[in-house]
Amino acid sequence: MIEIDVFRRPDGVAVVVPQGRLNMVAARQMKDLLAILLEEGSSRIVVDLDRTTFLDSSGLGALIGGLKGARQAGGDLRIARPTPEVLTVFQLTNMDKVLRPRDDVESAFDA
Amino acid sequence: MGTATTTAAPAVVPEEDRRQRAVESLTLAEGQPVERLDRITRLARTIFEVPFSSIAVLDGDRAWFASIQGADLRGLPRQETFSDRADSDSVLLVVEDTASDPRFADLPAVTDDGIRFYAGQPLRDSMGNVLGTLGLFDVRPRTLDQEQLTTLVDLAAWAEQELTASTEMTQARRVQSSLLPARPVRVPGWTVDGLCLPALAVGGDFYDYGVGHSVAHVSLGDVMGKGTGAALLGAGVRAAIRGTHEAVVAGVDLGITATQVARSLLPDLERAESFVTLLEAAVDLDDGFVRLVDAGSGLALVVRADGTATHLRSEDRPFGVLPDDHWSEQQLDLDPGDRLLLFSDGLLDLLDDPVDWVPELGALVHRAEDGPGVLASVLALGHARTPLDDVTAVVVVRERGQ
Repeated sequence: MIEIDVFRRPDGVAVVVPQGRLNMVAARQMKDLLAILLEEGSSRIVVDLDRTTFLDSSGLGALIGGLKGARQAGGDLRIARPTPEVLTVFQLTNMDKVLRPRDDVESAFDA
Repeated sequence: MGTATTTAAPAVVPEEDRRQRAVESLTLAEGQPVERLDRITRLARTIFEVPFSSIAVLDGDRAWFASIQGADLRGLPRQETFSDRADSDSVLLVVEDTASDPRFADLPAVTDDGIRFYAGQPLRDSMGNVLGTLGLFDVRPRTLDQEQLTTLVDLAAWAEQELTASTEMTQARRVQSSLLPARPVRVPGWTVDGLCLPALAVGGDFYDYGVGHSVAHVSLGDVMGKGTGAALLGAGVRAAIRGTHEAVVAGVDLGITATQVARSLLPDLERAESFVTLLEAAVDLDDGFVRLVDAGSGLALVVRADGTATHLRSEDRPFGVLPDDHWSEQQLDLDPGDRLLLFSDGLLDLLDDPVDWVPELGALVHRAEDGPGVLASVLALGHARTPLDDVTAVVVVRERGQ
């Protein structure tokens, strides 16, 4: 299990911070967590990847699932601060066009 | 269904027939030691401090030992087993003193081998069929307390897993391997060959190739995740791509066929909450003209005759992400001496630098003698570092001077 911190900003944006390896096992945890956030009405979500050391296809799948759910609920899921290793995954799959990496968490929902 | 046949009774398979079929579907064979079962019997002998322990498979009129500790015995007639003499072979049996129980006192194990204590827990498959028994034997009468009984049941549950789960996975792996091309494509001037190393028994990676109209149609897919779920989806993706083979080798734009395949797979992928990355290429074996579509893989490398390595890129996403996506064909030429490597991201984990991997992989492809040599180098990497994910590679080699 990896640790995933969650907190809500005063403006209603939920910030999710997975720490460690976002692999097949952790992806299940991530998926469930994002589903709960959406159920609770938090459809604007930032995933802060600053402390995510590894992302595999299952981890990417959990983020894509969260993105779809958030958009269906009228919100969005955005990612911020990926490490170079994790950024590679988004670039190779061309998912960086849909999940455009943001430089910081605070402004991820500006513009 | 019609209503005229209301009296037709359902076919009843006698319990023993059904049980025997389940036993025959095991991939174990009499007389072949199985380490994963030996672990359990060894542990049982130590925990219960008994001289003998066994995992017996009830096979027709025989019981043979898939694992046995303390005795060198392959098997015995089933009617000479304790479980056969019990009122039922499907419940835990504990015989505290075999010599004083008329049901068992005349068994050869008691009269000839001096067995005075027996405890056996049936081993079932997922359908409830009794496949065999985990047995404990002692030469002195004894008892098992409640805690020991619980331990015996726990060990038996583990033995059931080892008996059946690995059977299913071995068969699944065999089926999955049979879906890969049986041999390389070798035509004058060209070799196409592939390799797939699943991280688990089965995996979500696949590759496929075939030749028609002097065009080699090559695909390599990677379904999200790994294991059985990914493998099931992967088989479907492979079949969908195969369905476009005639069109592809006849020259239909790969972007069009790939988009068709993606549309047909979308409902399945969405329901399974999965996605697939795919590389698909059509290589003209007469002139080296290559058409390629890259659905979110980004893992295609051209290595020219002089060793220059170029990472082929695309703008296209995986199948199953966005319903409105479409895919486009890109084109290049393979000249004599050039090589094209398509691979899955499991290979990146095996490299020294998974981010800046082009130089290392380019050198690997360039150095190799031929296509099989490239795959041998990939295999060596897999052996040197345990793969975390499925590792798959397909290499297209155009020989020099052709």
